Amino acid sequence: MSKDQFKTRLQIAKDKLLKKKLYENRKNPASIGTAFKLSTELVSAVAVGTIIGFILDKTFGTKPWLIIIFFFVGVIAGIINVIRSAKNMQK
Amino acid sequence: MAANPMTQFEVYRIGPEIKVGAFDISFTNASLFMVVSSLAILLIFNLGSKKNSLIPNKVQLLAELSYAFISKMIGDTAGTKARPYFALIFSLFMFVLFCNMFGMIPYTFTVTSHIIVTFMLAAFIFVGVTIIGFIKHGFGYLKLFVPSGVPGILLPLIVVIEVISYLSRPISLSVRLFANMMAGHTMMKVFGGFVVSLGIVGGWLPLSFSVALTGLEILVAFLQAYVFAILTCIYLNDALNLHH
Repeated sequence: MSKDQFKTRLQIAKDKLLKKKLYENRKNPASIGTAFKLSTELVSAVAVGTIIGFILDKTFGTKPWLIIIFFFVGVIAGIINVIRSAKNMQK
Repeated sequence: MAANPMTQFEVYRIGPEIKVGAFDISFTNASLFMVVSSLAILLIFNLGSKKNSLIPNKVQLLAELSYAFISKMIGDTAGTKARPYFALIFSLFMFVLFCNMFGMIPYTFTVTSHIIVTFMLAAFIFVGVTIIGFIKHGFGYLKLFVPSGVPGILLPLIVVIEVISYLSRPISLSVRLFANMMAGHTMMKVFGGFVVSLGIVGGWLPLSFSVALTGLEILVAFLQAYVFAILTCIYLNDALNLHH
């Protein structure tokens, strides 16, 4: 391998490294946000689901059923929220 | 000094009682500290931007650094389309940060440790972002609730789940800030109480904990304001650049 060839290869590798570093730096603040999202995301979705179920139960008079269904839908929504945030962090 | 760690969160009236209809809108200690932090922000940024010298003094440096910080954050998370909303996010961040930081001074009141304050901020963001989304995309904004590539049978369930997860945004936003602030301040008070009750013999251990906790709380105060602002940016990004 000649000296020039090595130099260009080194330059390419350096550029790649720099690009990667810049990319990671750019991504960093957003991941902190999503990381903090995880903790409360699950709970709040369950709470919202239960509240919706409670309100619908009151309006339709189907006392225990809708609150149970919406509780579980809320749990699913919470889990999906967490998975989505985790995926965003990995991207 | 009150021994109950929760008395620090009590809201009491300052000055005369004012009633409008059934609502009590008297000036309270909570309102006082909101006014104080707003005035402090106004003062710092007025002083910081009064004379734009090439070599900045400390106040100008503070103002310019915070401007650059928020500007970079918006650029990173929401892109260039979110530039017009800079003022909103900047004021939100500064207000939450100053309320948190004023709460760290002994004998003050922490406004953000009350769920109603944080929930009003979050609800305001939520309604605002939803309106922005509808203005930008019309009824196409509802596509946010219908992810692509979902089989038809599952669609009703998915839409319900998406709506719930959308509605949970303001709650998770407000509960996070409120819970962090309230838990931190309660813990500091509890450890302070240990120092008093254990006296000069055993009080040194909780005292050192208290010092460490104060440092941690200052970090949390900043971080929560930052997270509040960054999540606003992320929600704004969802509304501006519709992709799912």
